[in-house]
Amino acid sequence: MLKLSRRYLLKTAATLTVLAAAPLAIAPAAAEESVHSIINALIKKYSGEAKAGMSNGDVRALFEKDGFRDYLDVYPVGELAGGFVWKPGMGASFVGPYSKLQIKSPFTDYLPLAEGPVLDHNKKYRIGLVFHGFNHPWLISLADTAAWEAKRHPNIELEVIDAEFDDNKMGQVIDTWIAKQYDGIVLWPNREAPMGPPVDRAIAAGIPVVSLDRRTSSEQISSEVLGNFYANGLQQGLYLKHAAPEGNIIFNRKDLGSTADSIRTGAFLEAIGNTPGYKVLANYHTNSQRTLAFKSTADALQAFQDISVSFNTGGEEAMGALDAIREANRLNSAPGGKKMMILANDDAREVLKEIKAGNIEMVSPYTPLIGDIGIRAVVMHIGAKAGLNEALPKLIMTPNLPMITKEKMNIEGIETLTPDEWPYAYGPAVAG
Amino acid sequence: MTMSTLETEVASQARPSDALRHLGVGEMSRVAVLIALLIAGQAITPSFLSLANIHVILLAVAAIGIMAYGMTLVVITGEIDLSIAGVAILSCVAGGLLIPTGSAVLVIGTTLLTGLAIGLVNGILVAALGIPSLITTLGMLGITRALANIFSGGQALYPEPIAAYLWLGRGDLVGVPLPIVLLVVLCAAAIALTKYSIFGRALYATGGNVKAAALSGINVVGVRTAVFAISGICAALAGMLESARLSYINPAGFEGMELSVLAVTVLGGAALSGGSGSITGTVVAALIIGIVNNLLNQLGVSIYLQQVVTAAVILAVVIPGMWQRGIAK
Repeated sequence: MLKLSRRYLLKTAATLTVLAAAPLAIAPAAAEESVHSIINALIKKYSGEAKAGMSNGDVRALFEKDGFRDYLDVYPVGELAGGFVWKPGMGASFVGPYSKLQIKSPFTDYLPLAEGPVLDHNKKYRIGLVFHGFNHPWLISLADTAAWEAKRHPNIELEVIDAEFDDNKMGQVIDTWIAKQYDGIVLWPNREAPMGPPVDRAIAAGIPVVSLDRRTSSEQISSEVLGNFYANGLQQGLYLKHAAPEGNIIFNRKDLGSTADSIRTGAFLEAIGNTPGYKVLANYHTNSQRTLAFKSTADALQAFQDISVSFNTGGEEAMGALDAIREANRLNSAPGGKKMMILANDDAREVLKEIKAGNIEMVSPYTPLIGDIGIRAVVMHIGAKAGLNEALPKLIMTPNLPMITKEKMNIEGIETLTPDEWPYAYGPAVAG
Repeated sequence: MTMSTLETEVASQARPSDALRHLGVGEMSRVAVLIALLIAGQAITPSFLSLANIHVILLAVAAIGIMAYGMTLVVITGEIDLSIAGVAILSCVAGGLLIPTGSAVLVIGTTLLTGLAIGLVNGILVAALGIPSLITTLGMLGITRALANIFSGGQALYPEPIAAYLWLGRGDLVGVPLPIVLLVVLCAAAIALTKYSIFGRALYATGGNVKAAALSGINVVGVRTAVFAISGICAALAGMLESARLSYINPAGFEGMELSVLAVTVLGGAALSGGSGSITGTVVAALIIGIVNNLLNQLGVSIYLQQVVTAAVILAVVIPGMWQRGIAK
């Protein structure tokens, strides 16, 4: 006699939900190569060439001085969970619950959960999201997407706490949730090491934990939703190689040792390391601060009359550099009277506006709109713990996104997108 | 030796030492460091004393210098204003929220009035209610930063549509960038206020001995309230200049600016115990910091090493003055 328990039914339903979404996502993969795979192949190619040696002495010296190899070798590059294939245009549109801005979130179809109650429909699931930065547009957008996903499921109760860039506070928040026996925890850690022990305590208490964007030092963490830093820096390098075989570069980088700096700048150097025409003029750590990037660039413009490229690890830096270049009236002061190239990361709306205006050459998108993946992942881990669905992999890679350029281009197989083709930008729009 | 020859010789021997005594060791070391930096800068980078680079240095120190004018007045009275970075950002956010009106008068006026109002609140809390300025302004720093985030929703504001606002940071008067014009004009005004006005004498008297100043008829409550109000409006103006230069009002901006401004003020010779300090000293100190940063950036020195060098320069300037005071005791 077939015994149909509630547990059995729930497990079957949850598995079917996941499986129902998966074939749709997997199907196009066979038809054409995804941008994710193309970029991963290029990462492999350029990383391999750089490991074999860098013929450009300037680039090699900087690469070796800051020990980029150590960081690059341990940064995961891999396939997407469930064979997902991302394409431009995918995702849901909504108004951010915190920012009140119109958002189009790119990855809402990744590891999807149908709207409505999740797992055991009669149970309330308490999930905590702790992050830093209700004063930062990128991070508010991250919280926006997490809150949006949670709201789609009436039996999820999401508590969102801003730890205000205080690792101790984040640890205390996690410990409080452990004491209150929350069902799941999602976090955006600022630094790796301090968040390992609190995450391990939560896991030991049987609470699934998912980190977003950045990593913790925990070996036990349920899943890490990782961004695509490698794709960012690589594409900056590929663009530069495509646009100019030679150039004098100044760098505005993030904090020394931060993942964003190590991987993006390292991948950029790997991409250009075997092109002899590039020279490193100056290298600044402007620590994600627009004002510092502005000042460093203003001073560099006085020291060097032949700058042709401004490499920026982040969007804030790129905007600071652009303002300094404009103030000095040096936009067209590259050798031969050419336009100085500004390479950026982070697809803020203000950066896209400057790309459209032709002031910034390219940006590699790094979307904050991944909070929803974290919520779905932690729900699936809660379900797996209860035996309701399969467990997710530990590493959940987010799709590599193609660079954005003013005009459509094809660079080493990557079809770039124009600002008008990119609905996923974050932050407030700039008038004028 | 004739009398006149003797007088001349005595005078010629006396003049330098009188001048040096007048300047003081602290001021001498500041000027000496400034001159040494200028010489070294030109020797290292030939374009260092070019007009373009002088513009860059002055533009870089304009905001911190203007904030430091206000801070210097506060410190002369024996108080401290740690709220300036928060005042700057809240003022800019308050004005920035009115950008959709398209009215430059409203945006700029609200920015300055917000700074003035917060400064007045600081002044009243310290001078009238007797709450220590360290506690008052530290609390105000937290409140203003939090309010800036609440009012802006944590999102940046862009003053692009307000041309007059942008002009404050990017415009010029007869070829001189406006922030530099304001730095110089406000310097002159602050020197006039501190050196040649009754209010200036009241500042030093209040900072030197507040009870004696009150007994001699000085309205110490009014003086102390006024300096906080001036500091507030200086912070708002400096915030507006920086925001206009970047065309970007960042509610999380000016992180740690209060300590940089305080460092410039102390480097300029103001004692935290009150009763001393000068605007000229503050200006020289701001220039020293600006030149050091410019030079190190031009040499490609890392920001981390720059912090070490800047701290070393501050110590090199401040220690001789302290040593002199120690000898005097």
